[in-house]
Amino acid sequence: MNRKIVYFAGLKKFFGDETSVEVAPEESYACLLEKLGELNPEAKEVLTSCRIAVNEKFVPLDETIKDQTTLFLIPPSSGG
Amino acid sequence: MKHIQNTEISYSELFENFRHPQSGAVVLFSGEVRDNNKGRAVTHLEYEAYEPMANKMISEILEEAKSRFKLNQAACVHRVGRVEISGCAVVVITGSGHRKEAYDANRYIIDRVKNEVPIWKHEFFADGTSEWGQNCDCISDDHHHHHNNHHYERAE
Repeated sequence: MNRKIVYFAGLKKFFGDETSVEVAPEESYACLLEKLGELNPEAKEVLTSCRIAVNEKFVPLDETIKDQTTLFLIPPSSGG
Repeated sequence: MKHIQNTEISYSELFENFRHPQSGAVVLFSGEVRDNNKGRAVTHLEYEAYEPMANKMISEILEEAKSRFKLNQAACVHRVGRVEISGCAVVVITGSGHRKEAYDANRYIIDRVKNEVPIWKHEFFADGTSEWGQNCDCISDDHHHHHNNHHYERAE
């Protein structure tokens, strides 16, 4: 099943504003991050420190991706 | 209250509206744009946010700070878009009966906003290059390490 992923800040350089990625059944969020790193090895380092938000809440990365909604990839904060 | 805005922050206005009969202490922190960072000349910054989530998280942080430090009021507004040198990027105002709580809460709020809330700084340098910022200087032991100590290195 394809899932929409939205990117922010420095991640856009690697992936653009959003992409659609095939997610296998039982795949975890952590797996997805790894897969994105394989698609773009230069982004690997940033991806290891990213969080993922679904429905405006951070999800534990070891959980299986279950919702049908968009995933938001959140690089480390640098506000202020 | 909206905590993310793309226009200039008028902190004097926010401050004026912050009076409370039970507050003997009001602390205002303004995070402003420096013309240099790590030895490099900075021309301006641009901030990006995942706005609905940033707005919600700042609200929650303020509510938590209010009950934890027994504040009468707390406010925080963060910019998105372009901010020039000496421009206000973020403001935090706290009010309490006595100064200790207002100071402590103010620091607590700005630290959490910087470390946790999905807002990102894009720094533009005088040499024409730019880079996405990372905040964590890892000097203090008590800050929230939501990124497992992996730092976000230069993106350019």
